[in-house]
Formats: sequence, structure tokens, C-alpha cells
Amino acid sequence: MKKVVMGTEAAALAVKLARVQVISAYPITPQTVIVENLSDIIGRGELNAKYMPVESEHSAMASCIGASLAGARAFTASSSQGLVYMHEMLHYAAGARVPVVMVNCNRALAPPWNLYCDHTDSLAQRDTGWGQYYCADAQDVLDAILIAYNVAEQALLPVMINMDAFYLTHTSEPVDVPDQKAVDIFLPSYQPSSKLDVDDPKTFGNVCGADLFTSIKYKRHCDTLSLEKLWDRAAVRFCGYFSRLHPTVEAYQTEDADVCIIGIGTATGAMRLAVDRLREEGLKVGSLRLAMIRPFPRGGFEKATANVGHVIVIDRDVSFGAEGIVAQELKAILFDRHEDVRLTGFVAGVGGNDISVETIVPLVRQAIFGDGTAAEAGSTLWAEVLP
Amino acid sequence: MQSRKGIESLSELPIMPSTIGTMAWNQTGDWRYLTPVVANKLAPCSQNCPAGIPIPIYLNALKNGRIQSGLDLLLAHNPLPRLTGRLCYHPCQARCVRRKIDRTISIQKIERFLADLGTDVTIEKGKKTGKQVAVIGSGPLGLSCAFYLGCWGHQVVVLDPRNQAGGALVDRSPEKVDSQVLADEISRLIRLADIKLETGVVVDFDAPGNVVSKADLIILDPTGVSEDLRAPVGAVGVNPFDDEAANSDIIAPRLSQNLKPFKAPMIAHYIAAGRLTAQKAFNRLAMCSGQQGLAPPNPDLLPQTVNTDDIKIEHFSSSAPVAEAEAQQEGAWNHERALHEAERCLSCGTCDLCLQCVSFCPDASIKLDEDKTAVIVDEYHCKGCGICAYECPRGVVTMETISG
Repeated sequence: MKKVVMGTEAAALAVKLARVQVISAYPITPQTVIVENLSDIIGRGELNAKYMPVESEHSAMASCIGASLAGARAFTASSSQGLVYMHEMLHYAAGARVPVVMVNCNRALAPPWNLYCDHTDSLAQRDTGWGQYYCADAQDVLDAILIAYNVAEQALLPVMINMDAFYLTHTSEPVDVPDQKAVDIFLPSYQPSSKLDVDDPKTFGNVCGADLFTSIKYKRHCDTLSLEKLWDRAAVRFCGYFSRLHPTVEAYQTEDADVCIIGIGTATGAMRLAVDRLREEGLKVGSLRLAMIRPFPRGGFEKATANVGHVIVIDRDVSFGAEGIVAQELKAILFDRHEDVRLTGFVAGVGGNDISVETIVPLVRQAIFGDGTAAEAGSTLWAEVLP
Repeated sequence: MQSRKGIESLSELPIMPSTIGTMAWNQTGDWRYLTPVVANKLAPCSQNCPAGIPIPIYLNALKNGRIQSGLDLLLAHNPLPRLTGRLCYHPCQARCVRRKIDRTISIQKIERFLADLGTDVTIEKGKKTGKQVAVIGSGPLGLSCAFYLGCWGHQVVVLDPRNQAGGALVDRSPEKVDSQVLADEISRLIRLADIKLETGVVVDFDAPGNVVSKADLIILDPTGVSEDLRAPVGAVGVNPFDDEAANSDIIAPRLSQNLKPFKAPMIAHYIAAGRLTAQKAFNRLAMCSGQQGLAPPNPDLLPQTVNTDDIKIEHFSSSAPVAEAEAQQEGAWNHERALHEAERCLSCGTCDLCLQCVSFCPDASIKLDEDKTAVIVDEYHCKGCGICAYECPRGVVTMETISG
């Protein structure tokens, strides 16, 4: 059934379709609509779940961990300051191997206060051990949450679904809401292999010496790497039921491209339009949307950029004192390839500036021809900076 | 560090870090700088009771269906409960914390119900000492004094020049003091404490050869004999509440102005004075025979009164309202009514095994003992977080600095 909904409403619908059993959340703009919708859904009796209006994001994640350990399918959502407040528990969730799924609405971190889109909040959590997926549109949000539960419960690892503040959270689009019966077949109820059980007592998250610690972490690292393949496999299965594919990378015109524009989130749509514009000018440009950042979708990235000589990254985030975070990730992968690939990293659209075709085209020209207005700082070029 | 017994390969590692092993080896008790102390404290009602009756404890016994032990306990602190249950001005009720929630507990009505049951009770008695004590006068002070001395093993004779026992109580109007109740109460008292009561006896200290002259110690009951009776030579006035010891074999308890002349509503004060006089008499006899007397109460060991701010009234719900008329209802209460009232008791300062502390302890370090009669702290593992003390609705668990 098609419905016109905002990205946040699509997220709430997905949580309902996933028959989540415990929702624990603290409201924050622009995530609030998600949890408001969910409390309404539960209030109307459309979802049999326990809703916990906790006093902080730290507690929201802590209670999701507890609920998941008890065998429940758990969900939370946050954004920006809230997400960084639950940082400790994000590490814990991954270490405890609980298949919690959360939505993060990518919003700038203060100060100065800013409610708009910026990816630094979630990218700063990339070492916590969560799978990270960045959505392109509202349909992607709904579908990715369902796929995320499927993947998380196979791997026993948590997955974070990210959506751009306002561009996605508060923009209405037509969304195909799948049939509950079909979702129930794609995503059966969570059957934990191990859980808190008074009749079969065990201690979770106990003390462990160095002898076993390394092996436990090694195993977790291997399992986290496997999320890439698990996601792509689950996405194909999902496509079989619902005829929509959500792979870990989305390539556009990369087959013959010399230059590839790379980004994450909603701006990748504008990147594809910019590719069309630049191709009209005779430049052999393609674009690549990295839907997954953790684990890094190495396979999809290498396939899409095998013949590319110049990679242009537009980061909506920055690691201060270093460079754009996605640029860093790409440099790490490219270094392993031992090939002479050029990389130009831009920072643009932070704190809500629109990354439009008009933003992207001059940046690509600057990257290729060296002439433009983006200001240089270390190895990054910053767009939209005062002269 | 634990050995990796049983886990030899990656495939054997549980995916979720978990173990079926115990964490008892991790003795976190030495992290603690404050220790939870589980100790009953004096409830405000008991603290205000002239006779110091541990009210919540006997109400708990009643609540739990142990009527007999409730009555035993009551009698151990008050040998005349049928009379106090009718006459006392019940200062206990003035301090009842329950009034913050709805209305005070009618402690006196419950006391009267329990005392009127008249069932046989057993009182713990000391072994026979072979000493004889004569109590002259059978007023409430004399009877109380005789009761305790009898319970502690002395051979006690109560002598009253009048034909009816009860001393000053006999002079009250029948509406105030029912003579049958008085007679029954005295007969229970003398039976329990194995006392001999002689009424209509002419007490003449100058004519030896009678009971008085054979006694090792004589007590003159100010609530039993008229002030006309001339105190014999050698009698020493002793204030039961203020004086530490009685240095004479003839003790004449001296009452403060507020207890003179005799006032029936103050009966619990006379009972307390009787018990304190008995202690002094017991110590005097023990001292004379070279035996050890009752240890004087060490003020540090006396139970503290619970801090009423520690009674967390938010844990208790308001009971179904009982019409004021019924609450004030004259006369006796039946079992159901008394039980309902006893159930309203908050048990201030007195553990009633609600186990709130046990369920809230994050480290399973406060638990029921093996007999399931008390809550104990596992000192090897308790970290001293204080949640038990915070959660205890009754002020029983407190955090204390304990050295060593």
C-alpha cells in the first residue's frame, strides 16, 4: 500500500511491521516524530510492545540491551547530542552481541547549536562496533530497518540506520508500505540462542582475563566484517519478497568513469544529477553511494571503482585535525590496493547547507582542474566558507 | 585469573560473552566504606510508651497469625494488659506515623483485644534463687514489681492489708475499672509469676515472726498501701526512674509529683516503675549474696529510636477508610477488627521481612538467612552502595561506618 509519509513516519511504520517488543527512547529533534508515532501506535493497540520513556539516551540504550538480552526485539532512536550521550552503551551493545536496531537522525553537534544535517554524530560512533547504514530516501528507511533486524539477529550485532535530518526526517514522499504477512515471513520473530533465563542461569558481560579476551574480540571482529555479505544476501532476499533492492553500495555510471563522486546519505541523489550534468560537458564522471560504512563495503566499492583514477569525496562531516571521515575510510581502502588513485576530499553541507547539483559541479571542476573557491585546510577543501 | 578450562578453540567460545561460572571469587566487599546494618529500632509508638512495649513486634505477630507469641511478648513488657488496654491514655498513638497517611492505629484497642483473649501463656522464667521478697501493697506498681521478681526466680509474697487486691485501682468507680477484670488480671499475673498473694493481712513491722520478718527484701508499694502506713526503720526512698541502685533491704519507691496522687490513666507509668524497682531489688539481692545481678542497661546498646523521616510513607497505601465512629467505638473489638487494624501498622523501625532490600540489591548481597527469619548482609560481596537502606520503607537498614 502506498502512503505519503515523512522519513520519520516511515521509520515508525517499519518498527511496527518488525513487531518490535521493547522501545526505549528519549526524544530529540529531529528524531522526536519517530518516537511520538511509535507511542501513538502502541497507544492505539496496533503494536504489542513495551514503551519505556526513559530519562536519558544512555538509559535508552541500556534498557534496549537488557531487553534484548532477555530475548526481546528492541528498538531506539536518537540524534546528535543524544547519540553521543549513549556512546558508552553503544560499545556495550556491540560487545554484548545484542541485535538491537536503532535509527539515528544525522544532526550537527553543538556548539554552536544547530538542528540540521551533519554526519559527524554517527560517524564518530564508527568504532563502537555497530553496523552503520545511511539511507537515501524514506522507502530506504522503511526497508532498511526490516533488513537490519534480519541481519542483526543473524550476526548477533547491533545495527544503526542513519537518516539525514530534515532532508529525510521531515520530507514527505510516497512510500510503499509492505504487507504485514509478507514482512512476518521475511522477518520471523527473534529466537535468541542465548538469553537471560532464571531457569538456565548464566552471567552476561562478566569479567574475563586477557587469555580469552583477545579471542572474543577477534571473533567479534570477524563477525562484524561478515555483516557486509549478510546485508547484501538479506537485501537480495528482501528484493525477492518486495521487489526493491537495497545493496551496501549503489553505483551510478561508474563502468566507464575516470572520476567517481562518492558520498553518503541523501546528497547522493544530487550527485547522480551532477554526473548527468558533467557528462554533458564531456567529463567521464560516475558516482557511488556508500549505503554501508561499517563494516566498510569493500567488495562493492572495489567493483564499482576498479577503473577509476580519481575519487572525489564529499563529506558532510569532519574529523577535526584530520579530514573528512569518509575520505579517511576511502584512503585506507585505496592504500591496500597499491594503485595510483587520486583522492580529493571536500567538506560540504555541514550544519544543514543543501548539497545541490550547483554545489557539486563546481567542486568536481575544482578537483579536476584545480580552480575553485573551496578553502584548503590540510588535505581537505571546505566549500561554503567565508572568504 | 580464571583458567580457560573447557574452552580450547574459537568455536567453543559463546558468541555472547557469558558464563555459567560463579562470580563469588570476586570479593567486592573490600570496596565498601559504608556497611548496611540491619537492626530493629524503637518505633516512635514504643518510644513513647511508658512501659516500652515493642508494639510493632507484637502487631507483626498478630498479623502473621502468631497470636500466642504476640500475647507472650505483650505480657513480658506489661503484666496488666487488660487494664492498660482500658485505662491507659495511650501516648503511643500520639506518635503513630500512620497519621501521615490516614489516621493513627488504635493500638489500645488491639492491646485490649489481645489481652482479653485470656489464653494461657508461657513466660520465660529464671531459675529459683531461694530468696524471699515481700511486696507490701498490691497496686499496679507492687504487682508489676512482684511479677518481674517472680519471673526472675525469687519467691515473692504480696501482702495487702485490704480484703481486695488491686491497691489504688480498687478505689476507682466500677465504670472505670471493672472489678471482675481487675480480679482476673491479678490472678493471671500471680499464676504466671508464681507469686503468693495474701489479702486482709495486718502488716506490722514491729511484730516480727511473720512473712515480713522472714523476707530478704521488702518493697513498699506506694500505689498499694496508704501513706498512713508508717515506713519501718531502715526504709530507703528510691526513685525508680532516676536512682541507679537501692542500697537497702527495705525499698520504698518514691514517685515524682506527676504520678501523685494515683491516676488510673497513668497506669503504664506505675507498671514501668514497678519493673525498674524490681531490677534494683534484684541487683540488691544479688549483690548481697555475691551473685551477679542484672547488668545495668548500657545506653549504647539500647535500641535507637527510628528516625521518622526514614519511614517512607510513599511505600504504603491508604487503607480503606473506617468510619470515625467505628474507629472510636467503645468496648471490645473482635478478632477481625483487631487484625484489620494490626495490618495497618507500618512496622516503623521493625523488619517485617518485606524483602524490599533483597529485591533491590544489585549484587545479591543482602538476603534471608537460612532460617528465613532475618535479613543478613554478605560482607564479602556487599559494595556498600546503600540502595538497601534507601529502599527500606521502615528505617531498619542504615548505612554505618564500621571499622575493621
